[in-house]
Amino acid sequence: MSLASKIKETWICLKAGRVTLPYPAQARPVPANFRGRPIFDAAKCIGCAGCANNCPAREILVFDVCQEIRILKYLGRRCTYCGRCAEVCPEKAITMSPEFETATNHIGDLQQRLDLFMSTCQRCGRCFKEPSVLEQLKLKGYRMDDLENERWVFRSRSYLENEPVVDDIRIELD
Amino acid sequence: MIAREKLNQLKEKFGPAIQRADLPGEDRLFVFVEPSALKEVCRFVFRDLDGRYITGIGADDRPFSGQFMVAHTFAFDREHLLCGILVFVPPDPPRVESISDAVPAANWAEREFRDLVGIEPVGHAHPKRLVLPDGWPEGAHPLRKDVPWNAVPEGFDDEREFDFDEPPEGCVVVPFGPFHPTLDEPAHFRLYVEGETVRGCEYRGFMVHRGIEKLAESVLTYNEIPVMAERICGICGCVHNVAYAQAVESAVGLRAPPRAEFLRTLMLELERLHSHLLWVGLACHIVGFDTLFMQSFRIREPVMWIAEKITGNRKTYGLCVVGGVHRDLTPELGAELRQVLDRLEAEWRAVTAAVLKDRNIQKRTCGIGVADRKLVKEAALIGPMARAAGVDIDCRRDHPYAAYDRVDFEVITAEDGDVWSRIVVRANEVFESIKIMRQCLEKMEDGPIQLSIQDELPAGRLGMSSVEAPRGEAHHFVITGENNRPRRWRVRAPTYQNLQAVPAMIKDQQLADMTISLASIDPCFSCTDRLETVDLNSGTTKVWSAEELSRLARWRT
Repeated sequence: MSLASKIKETWICLKAGRVTLPYPAQARPVPANFRGRPIFDAAKCIGCAGCANNCPAREILVFDVCQEIRILKYLGRRCTYCGRCAEVCPEKAITMSPEFETATNHIGDLQQRLDLFMSTCQRCGRCFKEPSVLEQLKLKGYRMDDLENERWVFRSRSYLENEPVVDDIRIELD
Repeated sequence: MIAREKLNQLKEKFGPAIQRADLPGEDRLFVFVEPSALKEVCRFVFRDLDGRYITGIGADDRPFSGQFMVAHTFAFDREHLLCGILVFVPPDPPRVESISDAVPAANWAEREFRDLVGIEPVGHAHPKRLVLPDGWPEGAHPLRKDVPWNAVPEGFDDEREFDFDEPPEGCVVVPFGPFHPTLDEPAHFRLYVEGETVRGCEYRGFMVHRGIEKLAESVLTYNEIPVMAERICGICGCVHNVAYAQAVESAVGLRAPPRAEFLRTLMLELERLHSHLLWVGLACHIVGFDTLFMQSFRIREPVMWIAEKITGNRKTYGLCVVGGVHRDLTPELGAELRQVLDRLEAEWRAVTAAVLKDRNIQKRTCGIGVADRKLVKEAALIGPMARAAGVDIDCRRDHPYAAYDRVDFEVITAEDGDVWSRIVVRANEVFESIKIMRQCLEKMEDGPIQLSIQDELPAGRLGMSSVEAPRGEAHHFVITGENNRPRRWRVRAPTYQNLQAVPAMIKDQQLADMTISLASIDPCFSCTDRLETVDLNSGTTKVWSAEELSRLARWRT
């Protein structure tokens, strides 16, 4: 009978009562292992670039200014908060924070830049060994991402080949 | 062994036209045939052997064999076999015989490889553009290996409009979409309407084609793809994530550890729960029954919260990598999950008891959008569409993957093939999912969750995997390759097949039933980048720009 159905449906609604949360006036707390905006800790980072090599969205760039100084930049534009960077980081220098309301008109609010003083050998690329062969470093040694245009450079000049790096960008080594 | 038996049947019938066959396992068969025999072999497999058509794949294999490749995949559901019929096609220009008059379900797949790879399906009845955007010039095929991932072809014209067919005589064209409140994605239907009755339609979709396949073949690496695969669909992301990982594993002969398999099963079912609850809610919303829409979403919410607790996010679980999963379930979360399931089951039982006897919904959905057994076969419909028509197919049982061979469940079917049957099937599948999840929690043993892969994955292997998404079978086809990435990765989402049946389903129906008919296949929501508001008092219009809209969206409280 349809009437019985209607009574049952009414009961379901009445029993549920009011469930709407007062968002956005009050945000619901997120669970412990929530994957929000990644936060980079410059004090812990050893500059291995494991995060940059594993970022599916290519949102982490690395640029070697010289033998000793490496810049790591997180762009925060297309980042999908997948958490791969935090997972592969050997030093736990990246934490997935509880922040999820990250809409902004100024992308700089989300970007992070780490200027790292490097003392490990960058040439051998052995400061970081990833767990699986599928994940092992595709890029070793120098990384010369295009910081100015905020682009990930597909092939680094680690082997000092003579070919250009990507189409229109040529990065000169000293 | 069933694969060998099928191969012998093919050999007997076609003899030398069968060039080579790969039998990587009991449940996979790859047959390489002469290009001239392709159509007949496919007809034989589809008609005489009663195979279910899955999809067609075109690949540019020129860097490796100097030729193009076309594969048509079929499933033998009762015999638990997935079968691929492959041909190599000489280049300049690549042409292959169209199979779509023998196998109507191949219509879109052939048009797709015509667009993307540039292999001409000779004899296709309607070889019209399907995937590429309107502005693309003829002759530019993005999935060819010599086209870079970020190429914009010469002659790209943003202003060019799509060349639509002429409507039949006596019919008026009613545009439906691309932005329509009930459409889950920006797709455009041109409905040919006579009075209030729909006589036919033309479909133009693929407006959010993002080229993920191309990205995977040229930029990403094996273990970055799962994260991207998950973004194919906002509702059944985990399905694509698992299907990709399984396809690669099947190509190279890996098997994930048992605990990982149970975790995959668990998360897939969690996803089905939230998807079915969402769909039942939306379907009710479309037929004007908002009470159940609200209640169904309320009941669904704890499912999202528990997923967030387990994986760190409501959706996009980020679960799989090749060779396992990388999130484990703690015993505390397992216990909490049980509680969520118990509460959900009780609440859903109350809802189904009320709704499945509600005459108002029945009257609105019975006999609407009918897809009968014949249409299911011809268009190769899958999932709840097929099961609602009495065709008992379910990949979880027919092509067991993950841990589905270790759990008991029933495949829910109905008889009538209309929208109402689909509601019944989906509503009852919720209980089966809960049953499966409980068994998983019970049977799951401790152990590793990831394989340690010691060697690079071998190149040139073929793999495929079918995963039962909430909407039907999602199929992934992979050819492994060099440089830590696949050569070709083809994704066929369930809606791809189901959408092809829409013109037949809505024919000679009332225009008002269009929305629920379409929504009943559960296609995947769109977002607009521009909207218009009208001030009723002054009658002035204001067009909002994308920038203003994004500022409006960011403004909070």
